[in-house]
Amino acid sequence: MGGKNEKSTFTRMKTELSKASAPHLTFFMPLLFIRSMEKKLVTQLKVFFLTMQDFFLFSLRAFMAFPKMIRYWRDVLDQATICGRDSIPIVLVSAISIGALLAIEVGNLLEDFGAKTMLGRSTALSVIRELGPLLMGLMLSARFGSRNGAELGAMQISEQIDALRAFGTDPIAKLVMPRLLAALIMFLPLTALSDFAGLQSAAYMAEHYHRIDPGIFWNAVYPRLAPKDFVVGFLKAPVFAMIITLVSCFNGFSARGGTAGVGRSTIKGIVVSSGLVLIANFYVSKIVLENM
Amino acid sequence: MIELRNVSLKYGEREILKNVSLTIKDNTIKAILGPSGVGKSTILKLMLGLIKPNSGQVIVDGTDITCMKERSLYSIRRKMGMVFQGNALFDSLTISQNLGFFLRENLKLPEAEISRKVAEQIQFAGLEGYEDQLPESLSGGMRRRVAIGRALIFKPHMILFDEPTAGLDPVSSKKILSLISSLRQNNNLGAVIVTHIIDDVFYVADSVAVLYQGEIIFDDVTEKLHEAEHPFIRSILSDKILEL
Ligand SMILES: Nc1ncnc2c1ncn2[C@@H]1O[C@H](COP(=O)(O)OP(=O)(O)O)[C@@H](O)[C@H]1O
Ligand SMILES: [Mg+2]
Repeated sequence: MGGKNEKSTFTRMKTELSKASAPHLTFFMPLLFIRSMEKKLVTQLKVFFLTMQDFFLFSLRAFMAFPKMIRYWRDVLDQATICGRDSIPIVLVSAISIGALLAIEVGNLLEDFGAKTMLGRSTALSVIRELGPLLMGLMLSARFGSRNGAELGAMQISEQIDALRAFGTDPIAKLVMPRLLAALIMFLPLTALSDFAGLQSAAYMAEHYHRIDPGIFWNAVYPRLAPKDFVVGFLKAPVFAMIITLVSCFNGFSARGGTAGVGRSTIKGIVVSSGLVLIANFYVSKIVLENM
Repeated sequence: MIELRNVSLKYGEREILKNVSLTIKDNTIKAILGPSGVGKSTILKLMLGLIKPNSGQVIVDGTDITCMKERSLYSIRRKMGMVFQGNALFDSLTISQNLGFFLRENLKLPEAEISRKVAEQIQFAGLEGYEDQLPESLSGGMRRRVAIGRALIFKPHMILFDEPTAGLDPVSSKKILSLISSLRQNNNLGAVIVTHIIDDVFYVADSVAVLYQGEIIFDDVTEKLHEAEHPFIRSILSDKILEL
């Protein structure tokens, strides 16, 4: 909105100058342009930091509402069903296909070095540390995040969230806290499921594509896994749960401007949460692996 | 009684309300008339403390709610019932669940008491037989009556209507308006009605405030509206159209 205003100020200044038809004034036009760009940047930065502040307060209030989980246990259960049970198929499909692909490609590579027996170890590490949790996170940000963004956005523009407040119910406790809690609980088993399915499909491919004996495959998996591999993988679950739920709910609550606004807030929720999931994935791995 | 004292409000750089003062007495029906986008819904949200003014005060029954925390506002808000423009019913809940929702949420009542109160509202709104339907399967007028029933459930002494007749056919509009005037006669209920339809004002309101370009340009009993000099009021009286 600010951007549009600034642009129009600039065009107005420009037309005023050309109306004055004073050729020497055109000399200042680049200067004016820089000034207007600067102003635009400043307003955008201001908006960014205000939004960050709002997001922080929003998240804080969602966590502070945790004591109300007993009262809203039914909502927590509903959300746990939606983000947990209902997400199982998509998590399975993505984990199985990536597990299989990984086994095939890495197996081909290892074959060149004559180290095919190491396939179990290399797939196990990448699945448990990275791909299992990451795929789960991305799928859930598309599935659970988009649902939150659209549902809460529609509630916002139809004034249902205002109605909650108007009749004395805290909308963050009623709508956001159950989603956050459900995600925090359900993302752990979903990660485990993603790891398990990825490894199983890798093992299947190892046996049937690369002709590696399952005993050899699993022997290269189990004895070598260290606690830190699991810490890296499973620490990501709660981190992703917070990112996905809070970002998508915040965007839903900020929806403005009719049905198009709901679309925008949903897209923004998915894009921002997927991006943050990718970034967080990197940093969790880096920090844990460097410190354990 | 609800009072706005010198209230100003901005959204970003845009000034929506400029130094607005208004008083709504108990047991009267006050209309706020103005073109769309002038800030009528905003005034209702200010009265409920849903948004804060940039300056000025909002006073409900002698309590200044301007700087009040959300948590302490909840009990104040229950003195007022709000009927939102699009009804704001919860679309995944049935009619009786919608009506009982806030009783279950906010008061620790026995379930039998809740059912009794819900049945009372169902009967008042004339919705017998529709208890277990979802809002989407009802007509516009019925949905509006559910929203009114929901607003009455805490027995407020003031009820706020945001465009109660918008989007309704003329017959349903008349029904809703007579419902509003019967509320005052039977329950001693005060009401604020925000509208851009001047017929609504003459039909139910005791007094009217006209909001135009962020300012109150008229605030008096309804009959005096005919004597007002302001060109905007003259134009709406002559062609009854508020779209500018
Ligand atoms: N949350 C908001 N942020 C920015 N602008 C808003 C917001 N809510 C309302 N507005 C703007 O304020 C003006 C008044 O809104 P509103 O009170 O809904 O008008 P009315 O109910 O009289 O049609 C409108 O132009 C609207 O675009
Ligand atoms: Mg409005």
